[in-house]
Amino acid sequence: VKPARRAEGLVVTEVAGELLVYDLERHRAHCLNPPAAVVFKHCDGSQSVQELARLLNKELGVPVDTDCVWLALDGLGRAKLLQRRVSRPAAAGRLSRRELMRRLGIAVLLPAVTSVLAPTPAQAAATCVSDCTGQAFGTPCSSTAPANCLCTCDGAGACLGGC
Amino acid sequence: MAKLDRLGWAAGMCFDAYGVRLGVRVNQPEILPELSALLPPGSTPAASLDVDQIYSVWLGKSQGRTRGFHLLYAGVEARARTLSREVLFEAFEASLRLGVAAAARRRVFVHAGVVGWRGRAIVLPGRSGSGKTTLVAALLRAGASYYSDEFAVIDDQGRVHAFAKPLSIRGGNQAGRRSAEELGSVVGTRPLPIGLIAFSHYRAEGRWRPVPLSPGAGLLALVPHTVPLRRRPQASLAALRKAVEGARLLRSSRGEAEGIAIELLREADPTARGAA
Repeated sequence: VKPARRAEGLVVTEVAGELLVYDLERHRAHCLNPPAAVVFKHCDGSQSVQELARLLNKELGVPVDTDCVWLALDGLGRAKLLQRRVSRPAAAGRLSRRELMRRLGIAVLLPAVTSVLAPTPAQAAATCVSDCTGQAFGTPCSSTAPANCLCTCDGAGACLGGC
Repeated sequence: MAKLDRLGWAAGMCFDAYGVRLGVRVNQPEILPELSALLPPGSTPAASLDVDQIYSVWLGKSQGRTRGFHLLYAGVEARARTLSREVLFEAFEASLRLGVAAAARRRVFVHAGVVGWRGRAIVLPGRSGSGKTTLVAALLRAGASYYSDEFAVIDDQGRVHAFAKPLSIRGGNQAGRRSAEELGSVVGTRPLPIGLIAFSHYRAEGRWRPVPLSPGAGLLALVPHTVPLRRRPQASLAALRKAVEGARLLRSSRGEAEGIAIELLREADPTARGAA
């Protein structure tokens, strides 16, 4: 198996050994911690899982095995950052983060991919707008992004809530 | 748009803000001065009628049993339909700020409160209702300078510029629009590098127990608050990367703002942290 990362539709930003990958098609942002970032960077379709493990070993300076690479590939695949999702051979058994952490001894060496959805401008800046004069507590009031905010009057003339 | 255009527009104005040209048209010329007072900070009048976005403000008139709704459109998109002038104006102000935040060409707007402290900025990202303004007000009372209670305006060097609209304090005995001066502070004028980005959310029983974030995790945590990210991902992420590079990044829930303000000022000041 020679996994390949997606070559198009991604904006990649590196910061202190981590990668922030923005998916232009799905508008999702993914943070790859250093082990996941190393696997992603070398995942160009020319390296096998064993070779990726050796590279990971070399760059992190600690002994890691192919299970660590499989964990990274699983996270990258779920985030849709690979051209095609790859699966660990069934014969190798189920991969457990807990077992891997026990073997590595340090949690930060476990590859991790964390994702969030990028907001539309209206979602990012949504705010409650006050129209609560004379309104009872709990009366709904308006917002700049009705689909994203739950705004209600506080009984003292203010429109409060969360977006 | 043609339908809207056919309504009887009596007056208008154009202005530039952060490289965006916006137009406003109204059916009753006498409200233009009131609307002018609500333009985003840093707006300057523009002579050209060639605008990026037009806002249409229709003041309705109720007669007898007929209710005349006030209407607000951004382009063809309806933004408000209300009988309250106050709500109309508030929606107008919020829509204009959003229009500038989304379309500004050389700045990245992040939904956040910002204060200045000893030559560095403290940035408090958060959604509406998360307590940003209350916390900013507490920081101003504790001696910080005011930059914004709504947007961190970040340039391509990662520095924060002031977006100093009046603070919109909700609830409590100080509710209303308050200037920084009323809270015993001053408005910051020069752009500042970011010293601290604190992701916090008010909880009645919350305690300030900050957990440091890595730069990557901090960058990811800024994503939900970054207004132009979908439109300009490359430029937005480049500016955010610069912004987080020299900053401390913390996450915690918190209780009352007054108690936490001193903690935040201490966290933002390396010399004070060292002394402690």
